[in-house]
Amino acid sequence: MTEDDGRKVRDALKQSFPPVNVDLRRDLWPRVLAKLDDRPAGIPWYDWALAGLSTAMFLAFPRLILVLAYHL
Amino acid sequence: MDLLQRFALGEIDAFEALTQQFQGEIYAWIVRIVRDSGAAEDLTVETLWRIYRARHQFRPDGNFGAWARRIATNLAIDHLRRARPEEALMTEPAGELPRDPLLQQETREHIQRAFRHLPAKLQLAATLALIEEQPYEEIADALGTSVGTVKSRVFRAVRVLRKRLNRLGIKPE
Repeated sequence: MTEDDGRKVRDALKQSFPPVNVDLRRDLWPRVLAKLDDRPAGIPWYDWALAGLSTAMFLAFPRLILVLAYHL
Repeated sequence: MDLLQRFALGEIDAFEALTQQFQGEIYAWIVRIVRDSGAAEDLTVETLWRIYRARHQFRPDGNFGAWARRIATNLAIDHLRRARPEEALMTEPAGELPRDPLLQQETREHIQRAFRHLPAKLQLAATLALIEEQPYEEIADALGTSVGTVKSRVFRAVRVLRKRLNRLGIKPE
């Protein structure tokens, strides 16, 4: 590929892509602030259910703690 | 304590001041790459959000503008990857470069489509270097790479584009 080929492609690109307006039309701070204020989603209900079930099992059958510890 | 130190410590007022100072510059950089004002605004917000989340990694004696531009560039590359057109490139020869203005518009569309099918990193380097005529040093800094790598990407982009346009029967004059 010659230097001339490169120039031709560059000229074709410049003709095909009109200049863009680079001026920001609005203050984006409110959107940034809103995004920062978004809290991550809470813990899903099934995780709470699993935790509750596990606690109940361990209270009812304390030896399960030893079984679990062995497998860990 | 100066603004950058206060920002690094998480002071929201300092971050707001930096946002006011740099949002226009970040937007201008992104819109040159993605060429879509709506997408550029979204990416600017995302860039500023990521900047705040990563504030602990920022060294207050560093260059905030360059750091912001690098984050913006990475997000713009991700956007180009996601926004690549789904339709296949036309392979039928379209004839010589037409003189009719209407057909010239069609040729421009072929060129745009072929350009958007380039790999995102080649597209970004070629957009900034060839269309926007940004200095190679600035592009390299924003990409976190060397000037030689940027030149190589631009060269590859031109070569791939020329081949694709030749396949379509378009020979840029």
